[in-house]
Amino acid sequence: MGNSALKMEISSDWGSAEIAVLKVSGFLDFSGIAMLSKFFDRIAEEKWSYVIVDLVGLEAMCSAALGEFMGYRKRFVERGGSLVFAGLSGNIRSKLTLLGANKIFSFYQDVRSAINAYKWDYKKQSKSVAISFPADLALVPPIRQFASRLVRQKGYSVKDAFRIETIVDEVCNNAVEHGLGGAENTVDVRMSVDKEKIDINVSNKSAPEKVAVLRELTKPQTRGTGNHVGTDDKRGRGLALIRMLSNDMDVDITEHGTTVHVIKLREE
Amino acid sequence: MDLIFPYTISVRLPSDLEIIPSIRKFVSEVLQVSGFSAKFAFRSEIIIDAICNNAITHGSAGNADNEVELACVIHRDRVEVVVKDSGGSPADIEKLKEAVRRNRLGLPLPDYEAGGMGLEIVKLLSETIDITVDENNVTSIHVVRKREDA
Repeated sequence: MGNSALKMEISSDWGSAEIAVLKVSGFLDFSGIAMLSKFFDRIAEEKWSYVIVDLVGLEAMCSAALGEFMGYRKRFVERGGSLVFAGLSGNIRSKLTLLGANKIFSFYQDVRSAINAYKWDYKKQSKSVAISFPADLALVPPIRQFASRLVRQKGYSVKDAFRIETIVDEVCNNAVEHGLGGAENTVDVRMSVDKEKIDINVSNKSAPEKVAVLRELTKPQTRGTGNHVGTDDKRGRGLALIRMLSNDMDVDITEHGTTVHVIKLREE
Repeated sequence: MDLIFPYTISVRLPSDLEIIPSIRKFVSEVLQVSGFSAKFAFRSEIIIDAICNNAITHGSAGNADNEVELACVIHRDRVEVVVKDSGGSPADIEKLKEAVRRNRLGLPLPDYEAGGMGLEIVKLLSETIDITVDENNVTSIHVVRKREDA
């Protein structure tokens, strides 16, 4: 069976003026480098700085072509962007990895994942997940572990993830403990994570008559200095812990419910 | 406090494949704290993975800013999973409508791509599977999986 003819195509309607996708299919050997140069000369003339090379239909790539891509990548990095690969087959991916290309280029499952990575890395776009669950303590551990996995997957350190997990656990436990119970009274958690911080919002419904008690509970402890919690105090440790672990926290208590908003900056 | 059944967990997630492993694990843990076995939870994870993958890959009209809605209604003896997305390209919608038609007739679900066994696996692991596409192309898939030892 012969090798498929080399085809290349540029598209740029990907929702951002900086992004171009170069689709390369067929057999990219030494004879295809001239064609590759022509396409990259065209890309270089435009304002595109982030180039996604879509390799879905690629059958093979010679090492000379990989060297060319390295040179082009350097140009785009100098423009403040990058050149990444998307849609690699298992075979191509393992060959490129054997050549050490994975240490230079980022590989993505598909073009959309590469665009998501661009928005995350360059546009500082956040990713939001909202979870609504009935007010029951049994459901808090899965929520806290989800928060930890979410930030780990986004590149946060184990230490940051553990601290975020602790914050989510404390806030959700408080929401369940002090809010209205029952399946119809949900606790709503919204986590917005970006490259620099996580924004956590937890809301619950509470009985109007408990507003005064809740406001008292959320006041910083008056004994000792600042937020100090005395050794005999049975309450207030959770909030003190959240204050200690986070960079900003505010609590809004109304007759309809309570919303706790916490910001935790990425440290590592 | 004992969990009161049935109850619903709702999640709105970004249209991003990277998030699926965290979501499937989350649902698995919710099922296990609700008294389902690890085996049941793992098989349900596979369902979550397949239908969320489809919703993100084919059902977000190519827009990574769209969101996918997941709801798990947990009963003592079963779990119902509903996943909604904002609808894919006209070609994807046509494929899905064909899948709906074949599902209603009890025919095998179409295998359009090499990796397109998702719905067939979901069908194999679940009691019922129901797919709807409304007039705005909002796609909803409803899967019921019963506890095996019930």
